[in-house]
Amino acid sequence: MKEKLNSFHVALLIYMIELDVTVLMLPRMVAVQIGTNGWLGFLGLSLIAAFNIWLYKLVYSAGQGRSVFEISEAVLPKFVLYPVYAVLSLLWLGIGAFAGKSFVLVFQTLSFQTSSPMLIFAVYCLLVYVLLCKDLYSIVKASTVFFLLSIWMLLLAPNFFKDWSFHRFTSFLFQGTTNGHSLNGMLDVYSVFIGYELCVFLFPFSDAKTKLFKGVFAGHAIITSTHLFTILISFGFFSFEEVKILQFPVIHTLEYIEMPFINRVENLVFPFFLFSNLVTTVMFAFAARSALRRMLPHIEDKRLALPLAAAIFALGFLPTVFREAADWIRLTYFTETGVAFALPLLLLLLVKLGGKRTKEVS
Amino acid sequence: MADPKDVDGGTKSDENTKPTLEAVAEAMKGCVDCLHEKLEGSGADLVYFPTLVDLNNLQRDLIRPLSQASSEALNTLLSGAPFRAATDLKSCIKSIMDGAAAVFAGQKVYLFDAPKSTGRQVEQSETETVITGPHDGFVESLEENLGVIRKRLRSPKLKTVALEVGEIAKTRVILMYVEGIANEEFVTLLTGRIRDIEIDGVSDSNMLVQLIDENPNSLFPQYLTTERPDAVVSKLLGGRLAVILDGSPGVFSAPTAFLEFFSSPDDYYQRWPIGTGLRILRLIGFLITICFTAFYVSVTTFHYEMIPHTMLLNLAESRSRVPFPPLIEALLMETTIELLREAGARLPTKIGQTIGIVGGIVIGQAAVQAGFTSNILIIAVAISAIASFVIPSYIMSASLRLIRFGLIILAGILGNLGLIFGIGFIVVHMAGVTNLGTSYLTPIAPAKFMDILDTLVRGPFWALRERPTLSRTKNKVRTKVKR
Repeated sequence: MKEKLNSFHVALLIYMIELDVTVLMLPRMVAVQIGTNGWLGFLGLSLIAAFNIWLYKLVYSAGQGRSVFEISEAVLPKFVLYPVYAVLSLLWLGIGAFAGKSFVLVFQTLSFQTSSPMLIFAVYCLLVYVLLCKDLYSIVKASTVFFLLSIWMLLLAPNFFKDWSFHRFTSFLFQGTTNGHSLNGMLDVYSVFIGYELCVFLFPFSDAKTKLFKGVFAGHAIITSTHLFTILISFGFFSFEEVKILQFPVIHTLEYIEMPFINRVENLVFPFFLFSNLVTTVMFAFAARSALRRMLPHIEDKRLALPLAAAIFALGFLPTVFREAADWIRLTYFTETGVAFALPLLLLLLVKLGGKRTKEVS
Repeated sequence: MADPKDVDGGTKSDENTKPTLEAVAEAMKGCVDCLHEKLEGSGADLVYFPTLVDLNNLQRDLIRPLSQASSEALNTLLSGAPFRAATDLKSCIKSIMDGAAAVFAGQKVYLFDAPKSTGRQVEQSETETVITGPHDGFVESLEENLGVIRKRLRSPKLKTVALEVGEIAKTRVILMYVEGIANEEFVTLLTGRIRDIEIDGVSDSNMLVQLIDENPNSLFPQYLTTERPDAVVSKLLGGRLAVILDGSPGVFSAPTAFLEFFSSPDDYYQRWPIGTGLRILRLIGFLITICFTAFYVSVTTFHYEMIPHTMLLNLAESRSRVPFPPLIEALLMETTIELLREAGARLPTKIGQTIGIVGGIVIGQAAVQAGFTSNILIIAVAISAIASFVIPSYIMSASLRLIRFGLIILAGILGNLGLIFGIGFIVVHMAGVTNLGTSYLTPIAPAKFMDILDTLVRGPFWALRERPTLSRTKNKVRTKVKR
């Protein structure tokens, strides 16, 4: 009676992994790096991410659903793979830690200027630990509920209609960037998609019936739509030049909302971003746990949860202010983008080599 | 602790021991309420508990005929109905404890079942009242409870499994399911779990469920216990299992999901838009009861800017005379409410009314005038308390009250973020809870769209075509109503 990881839940999981603290800065990054009508360029980047997902789909088909570890270990010796696993684990833990710490730092700036961010981050890590103690099915169940607790924010959009103007979208395409167009800049924007590559760890939890990649593509499509919606709201609400200087355009738009019984709703709405950040951190930690379990197969998942949460907490000490956290995020997300593209290509090569070897043996 | 099997008067060796008057008398030694009589005429010995047997029946069908019979006619009389021969000591003692009288005639022992019907007759449940629909509720008698279910579900497909819990108490348990609808794996699983319980005795079904659940440390109840027969029949027809414990008016069903605790049989007796409205109202009540006071604490401690200007003046004025920080103020008032509720629940009804009056003063205007609390907090606390009463399950309502305290503390430390952290912890915890291997969060996670029609809302009967997926039934279709 084991529960299946069906495509619907995979879609929501991918959505929640991809949605993290970077979305708060997304409209600014699009304006600064892509320029006027940057949403079109953003769509192009989303298609590149979709292509990357398609590469993973090829790995899934070629590897006949085998896990990334099985594919690698069939060809490469453990002494080559284990250092790679260790480095990747550190990278994934770093991504989880910096995404979480950034979220905490933003919240601290908003509401808790005098509190220690590490104290808040400790509670965050406790939540990561509790979730990491559970199996993937439970993590997915929690992320489904977290999705519902986050998606309602889109319902706030009608509040902006009155002051939203189509005229703020100029007829010029990709003009007005701060430093011109560069690969670095594109990577900056592309980093909002980071997270889809974790679908590679879902291979063992799916079969032909569950239609894993239908879910991954759907999740990516939903997050692209949500991001696009966010960009369009910011671009039509603020002037282009204003978007370029606002640190967190999404929070600034929320500040605008006033209701009869409540003002400054960003204080209430922003904490809900905790859930998507949490799923991001936990799933990257899950990836690290999967890699570590390969090296330490005799240790149970539950026993790894505490050291992993502690490692995330320790990595959280690296950035002390948001600017530093943003730098760490850039570094780790850029690296992860490289990993996201290199991994399927490498795996396809390994599947091919592994396949040949199997044939030779037979 | 002594091995219960040593003290219950029925060890394994008794299974092969021949029942004799001496052996039974030895087992009953020290039980002053156990009666041993010698019948005139036949000379037979009679052993029984007057407190357990129906004395009228006993006099009419046993004592009178046996007293008038000669010793030769005795065996002929005893070999027919309603007498049955006892084969071993253990079953003989068990039958006496179940309300039988043992007749010792020569070398043979016969049993005459005349259990006294004790306790109340079927009457309305006090904890689960409904406005429309059947008003009968379960009582403490297993037979009565089984009877009211059988009367409603008149099919031989309703199967019953007899079980027993309590090494000493030997309380009877009946597990029920509808053959062809219920999942047999669940029947085996639940039967095994009940059989595996090793405890001296179980007093109530709410205690029994704690002995068989998969997450004993969870705050949430994992089996839905009800005192309403119509609710149990509906669960059985939905492919679930139901368990009756003798001596308990609560019958529990399984598997259960979290949202089931927010539905009431009333919902099905109303028109569906009304039923849906009531369910949504209860879910709003759920949110209010766990979050409202915590939100007050959060806003008044950290997020004053969220309060509109006009309200802020009133709130500031009201709060200005209170010497405590909002967290302490809220905890004090919530504790007062809990004290009142607990006192009201424990006191006899007549004195209980006094508590209502005293409570009204304590949490009313006097507390505000004394500068003990702000009037807006009183509104928040009162609304939270009222909201907790709309939850049909008292056990769930009690769990949510405790969670409320946790959220208030988190909100007092970390404001809105603390509140969200608290909700996060609850969700993560619930994601790990299972009931007979099924997810507690069904139909949200895993998402089952058709089930949402009968959980979050109460869809029209034509739309409720399938049985809940939670029951993992093979016979899915339950309604074929044409629009």
